[in-house]
Amino acid sequence: MFPSSPLPSALLAGLAAVLLPWAAFAQDEPAGEKTSSLGKQYESIVNVECSALRVDYRTPWNAATPSGGTGTAFLIGPNLFLTNAHVISDASRIVIKKVGASTPHRARVKFVAHDCDLALLELDPPSPAFLQAVPLSISTEIPKLDTTVKVVGYPIGGERISVTRGVVSRVDYQEFTHSGVDQHLAIQIDAAINPGNSGGPVLQGNTVVGVAFQGYTGDVAQNTGYMIPTPVIRRFLKDVADGSYDHYGELAIQHYPLLNPAQRKALQLPDNDRGVMITAVDSTGTCGGALKVGDVLLALDGYPIDSTGSIDIDGEQTEMAEVVERKFVGDSLKLKIWRDRQEQEFEVKLKVFPAYLMQAHQYEKQPEYLVHAGLVFQPLSHELMTAFSLTNLRTRYYYEYYAQDELYKDLPEVVVLTSILPDAINTWVRDYVGQVVESINGVKIKSLREAAEALAKAPDGTHMVIQFAGEGRPVALEKALIAPAHERILRKYGVASDRYLAP
Amino acid sequence: MKFRLLSAALLLVFALPSQGTAAPSPETSILRVNITSQGFNFALPWQKQRPSTRRGLGALLPGNRVLVTAELAQDANYIELEQAASGKRITAKVEAVDYEINLATIVPDEDPGSFFQGMEPLELDTALKPKAALDVWQFETNGTPVSSSVEFNRVDLGPYFLEDQFFLVFQANGAVQYRSGTFTLPVIHQGKLAGMLVRYNSRDQVSDILPATMVDRFLKDVATPPYEGLPSFGLRMSPSLDPQLRSFLKLDAENGGVLVTDVTPGFSAAVAGVQQGDVILEMNGHKIDARGSYEDPDYGLLGSGHLARGKALAGDTLKLLLLRQGQRLELNVTLLRKQPQDYLVDPYVFDRQPRYLILGGVLFQELTLPFLQLAGKEWRDRAAFRLVYAQANQDEYLKAGRKKLVFISGVLPAPCTLGYERLAGLIVNRVNGQEIADLAALAEAVKVPLNGIHRIDVVDGPRTIYLDEAQAKQDNAEFLPSRYRITAMENLK
Repeated sequence: MFPSSPLPSALLAGLAAVLLPWAAFAQDEPAGEKTSSLGKQYESIVNVECSALRVDYRTPWNAATPSGGTGTAFLIGPNLFLTNAHVISDASRIVIKKVGASTPHRARVKFVAHDCDLALLELDPPSPAFLQAVPLSISTEIPKLDTTVKVVGYPIGGERISVTRGVVSRVDYQEFTHSGVDQHLAIQIDAAINPGNSGGPVLQGNTVVGVAFQGYTGDVAQNTGYMIPTPVIRRFLKDVADGSYDHYGELAIQHYPLLNPAQRKALQLPDNDRGVMITAVDSTGTCGGALKVGDVLLALDGYPIDSTGSIDIDGEQTEMAEVVERKFVGDSLKLKIWRDRQEQEFEVKLKVFPAYLMQAHQYEKQPEYLVHAGLVFQPLSHELMTAFSLTNLRTRYYYEYYAQDELYKDLPEVVVLTSILPDAINTWVRDYVGQVVESINGVKIKSLREAAEALAKAPDGTHMVIQFAGEGRPVALEKALIAPAHERILRKYGVASDRYLAP
Repeated sequence: MKFRLLSAALLLVFALPSQGTAAPSPETSILRVNITSQGFNFALPWQKQRPSTRRGLGALLPGNRVLVTAELAQDANYIELEQAASGKRITAKVEAVDYEINLATIVPDEDPGSFFQGMEPLELDTALKPKAALDVWQFETNGTPVSSSVEFNRVDLGPYFLEDQFFLVFQANGAVQYRSGTFTLPVIHQGKLAGMLVRYNSRDQVSDILPATMVDRFLKDVATPPYEGLPSFGLRMSPSLDPQLRSFLKLDAENGGVLVTDVTPGFSAAVAGVQQGDVILEMNGHKIDARGSYEDPDYGLLGSGHLARGKALAGDTLKLLLLRQGQRLELNVTLLRKQPQDYLVDPYVFDRQPRYLILGGVLFQELTLPFLQLAGKEWRDRAAFRLVYAQANQDEYLKAGRKKLVFISGVLPAPCTLGYERLAGLIVNRVNGQEIADLAALAEAVKVPLNGIHRIDVVDGPRTIYLDEAQAKQDNAEFLPSRYRITAMENLK
């Protein structure tokens, strides 16, 4: 699910995925045989070295820059390793090493789920090295508070396997920093989780109760590591059983607690501590057409919702989103609401809600771009906001309120002039960098592809006219100057292709 | 050359008769002005901030008036005029203040008695020309006069006090030693007041001087009540240097002209019919170049804003020559004065309490720039985004029929506001079914709750806030006055 209320950013600032980045690119591990009797009982827990390619959104036409890091994975079935998505995202090459051994084995990603930070790897080609290793079994339950767990992996501080121990401190919803926008159930433990622990198992006895994935950095909080609990893991494994990962479904609503007595009085609700007020319904989302702003959501699939939005599942108080979290896209969901002083029931089919991904980190994506006469256009995304530090107020509005104000309905993509490759033709266009393209030659632009089409068509008049949102002055480029300038600029700035548009 | 010599001689002749009395000096013509300011707290608008005392220098003008900058006089609570040498003090008050022009006149509270005896009011020198040698007058702590020499060398438009407003500035070079406890400094040319020093850059030794011509127009306005203030043109212009833009707009290659990019509804330009997309070629017969500057007969190249605002008086006519869709068009704009409260978001608020209304602990205010600036220098990044966006796009709200932007600035925990404690920065659309164009409309709307419940519809967050009428009334009467020491539950003035 995506967060319905913003978290205090001061806390988030310190929350980070615990991948151990390589100190520098091209630093080779020292060769030589290393064997140890220590850690043999953990032979299904492996070290993952991922060489990754990071794209620079400021030069989207360039090949990516090599980087990488190491993390942990563990065997859960024949030639099937579970790890974190952030350990292997943007991978160009993945290598797995057995405990106490330095022989590298090539691996590849079988499935990846960026929204819940999990991935499955397999050795390619399969290796007999792991035939003897016993896959770890995954618990069906959430560990109880104050019970002991141990974290096994390959964190910073040495070459060999490491084991730390702690207790379950808290079970709650947390932001998953890998995507930056998703919240799921997570378990806080006080065992040390350090860079490199990512993707490693958290064990009770010999059973996996979670995957270590993130912790706080710096001075924000001490002894707070987080693991992905088994309901999230099991859901991921079930989702990919059909051969592909489908992403979480979303209610795509926002709600507000009903704590004030006047709310109940106004809505003529019984004083029974039940229900939350619906404050936003995405019209294209799961509840679109069923729920309305001002409705009171009383129950989800028969689980009564209390006035803060919590439900009771198996004796545990948890967020109502947990009902949705356990389902899959296409599953149906029963909603009980209070509207016009009476109860009503709806049944809806769970859908994905892609609009909220505007603010999510993107992985494994070749950045889309379009260069025209040295003007670089790119679709607005989280990566774009960070890469260019876009501060234009209108651009920020499109970014911040893309989902909430349903801007996506009109604008499948928000096209931004992100930079200029300076040339005589565009020397006066620099003032417009960072603004949102509204129209080209009078044609409203709703995606980068439409921008490409509009720019390819010769304008009726003498000028190619680009209008930016909320800007009173257009950019006008003389038609006759464009083509020669375009070729000249691509050559001069080493731009091999003037566009990449996703198919 | 000959002509210039002649006029210099003429000046001398005219200057001679006034030589009879004592020549003006710091002792005779400037005073210390000690001002205790106390503005309101924009987060908790029922109370004032901690008072702070500042000391500046004022120039004595005819009629026992003392000229200071508005910056010094802002939110003045208590004022003393002090003779630097003797330390003699009298209490005083602000006679007139203009925060845009950044000037204020201060007059004695009561009969000054012999306070001004032996003092010499300064005349204004409104004919200052570059290269003139100027003196910046100050006092040492012990009252000894100090004079620093600077050379006036450049004219430009620059900010006085409020950001984003640009007026005539004289720049002068030379070291000005900073004496303790001085805030604004009178600048003198040959015994006359040449202006007020508003800024000094000690690294480059450059002084920004608010010139006597601006003082003159301020004083003339003060002399003919009611005080009018500067007119507002109400449009945004953009340079037309880009040759491709020029050919698109069908502007010939050599001539200037600036493109009108935004016209504020209800303001001078819009009322006169200026449209977005027009190109301004001339103002009052002055050719406007592609950067938006004109050749001023006195000061050389200057921004055209000086013609429309700095130099103009409310009610003046500004003659425009426009290019609209390739056609030349003459348009007379009557320059209207707009008060800060005429804007959707007040650009500044001084000397008055912010408007607010409290209902059971929910604090409603009208959005003002000082409120946004509570978030600090980086307020555009740090204040509630909806409010920042509204401030930047005021026209959209004005067109929708709003006069002010009423919003919930915060919620005081009280019995009535249980569950609402964290709400802040919410723009109010309707209260009890009525559209809220300003705080006065809100004050009316809260009189008619439905079935004992106030219904407040807001843009974000809970979308609808319900408050119990009886509880709100009780909290307004008991809890809020006693716990938060709020003496008035509203200020609509």
